[in-house]
Amino acid sequence: MALELRDVDSGYGETQVLRGVSLKCGDGTITVMVGPNGAGKTTTLKTVNGLIRAWSGSIMFGGEDVTRLHAFERVERGMASCPEGRRLFPRLSTETNLRLGAYSKRARDSVDETLQDVYGMFPRLRERAEVRVGRLSGGEQQMVGIGRALMAKPSLVVLDEPSLGLAPKLIGEIFEKIVELKKRGLSVLLVEQNAFQALNIADYAYVLQEGRVVNEGPPSQLMDREELKKAYFSIE
Amino acid sequence: MVASYFLSDPSVLLSDLVFGLLLGCVLAVVAHGLNMIWGVVKVVNIAHGEFIMLGAYGAYFLNLYWGIGPLASAVFDAAIGFLVGYAFYYVFLHRELRGKETVSLQSEMVTLVATFGLSLVISTLALIIFSGNVVGIDYDPGTLLLGPVSVPLGGLYVAVVSILIISGTYLFLERTFIGAAIRAYSQDVTATELIGANPAKVASLATALGFAITMAGGALLTVFISVGINPLMGTLYAPISFVIVVMGGPGKMWGSLAGGLTLGIVFDVLQAVATPQIAFATGFLLLIPVLILRPEGILK
Repeated sequence: MALELRDVDSGYGETQVLRGVSLKCGDGTITVMVGPNGAGKTTTLKTVNGLIRAWSGSIMFGGEDVTRLHAFERVERGMASCPEGRRLFPRLSTETNLRLGAYSKRARDSVDETLQDVYGMFPRLRERAEVRVGRLSGGEQQMVGIGRALMAKPSLVVLDEPSLGLAPKLIGEIFEKIVELKKRGLSVLLVEQNAFQALNIADYAYVLQEGRVVNEGPPSQLMDREELKKAYFSIE
Repeated sequence: MVASYFLSDPSVLLSDLVFGLLLGCVLAVVAHGLNMIWGVVKVVNIAHGEFIMLGAYGAYFLNLYWGIGPLASAVFDAAIGFLVGYAFYYVFLHRELRGKETVSLQSEMVTLVATFGLSLVISTLALIIFSGNVVGIDYDPGTLLLGPVSVPLGGLYVAVVSILIISGTYLFLERTFIGAAIRAYSQDVTATELIGANPAKVASLATALGFAITMAGGALLTVFISVGINPLMGTLYAPISFVIVVMGGPGKMWGSLAGGLTLGIVFDVLQAVATPQIAFATGFLLLIPVLILRPEGILK
């Protein structure tokens, strides 16, 4: 199991958002979390990558309890994130952004190799290597976001809304790349508003509502269920 | 009087200009340490001037007891400043900054008041320990005559070292992994943590570097103030540093040099034509048009 959350409570300051969330992300699989705004999807991801601490419960990553570890320590263990809003370094070049992704000890020595690998996956970024990231288009920035996460040589990639703000054609492209990550043996934990498109590439899915997992299963089963439709339509 | 100065002898004006440029270089270094901390960690160290003063006294005592020149003392001062910077980060900043995406107004206030207090403590202790007497270092390697223009060699050496320090920090930030992480930190603390860097390590290193530069700057400054080292000198060089950093733009490494050279020339030429008071006042007043016309600093 790449990742397992057991009965996790979490939130911001005094405000509790997650209430006993348990979920698993299998090795080499794509796990998707869907649900309406405010369901706690982003909070779950932040608790997973360590930007916020779990109030209770535990987080197992690669067989190790990482509940008390800082975000940067989780990166060292092979968990990379492309957070909400991508959080790139706008005044640094594309290449510097990517190289910085390999900051952790596990990735630093092979930074040149990994960089070529990422350029192979996103040829467009090689052309834009010297351009400041702030000047890139939304689609290119998203590629840098995913590319930067890959630079950490992760076993698990945590993606928060990679399709946000992109044109429909680009969304398809990004989803293809996510499938490619899985083909390379990586595990992916993905949060998406584009629920149906995300479920198409998922191996397993969780439906979140009001900080709780209200439904889970392989997408084929989930697609028919009434709860998902409700959850999905409540986005509108 | 002003007109006679310009009309009398162009070589005098030229010599003053050159001296102003040399002075500007060292002022740039003195401000550079503040710039680093301000630009990266987003904290304004009100006690900045006191660390310049300590750097100057460091050079003074190294000279007094071991006969070490100000340039070599700058290296000692930098090493001490580096350690002091780490201590400063963990004592004054770490508690306020850790786990935060941006520096909140409250943290800003806390660090301002804390470093203001620190500034009073240091200058008072310095008055007790060093006494209020003005001291200086006897260091004069001579003068270089370039045609009609005379260039003080001490100032020239200091200027060269100053430019080396500023280009050195620039290269460090541009070319090294940890330097890139420092630039990353200045843009997005959370994202820096998500690439696997410990934010406290990055911020404390930037602070330590800032202090190393500040104290080395204090040592270099002694060459220009042959009799002027005193416990309260920080009250002059802190505001000069603030003006330089704002002029150049906080976080811009070459901004320190641009601001420093501007102030150096203004101070030196106006001191020759008018009085030191008018020179300093004009230097500070320059900040107003800069803030109105180019609030992000004179450099692009």
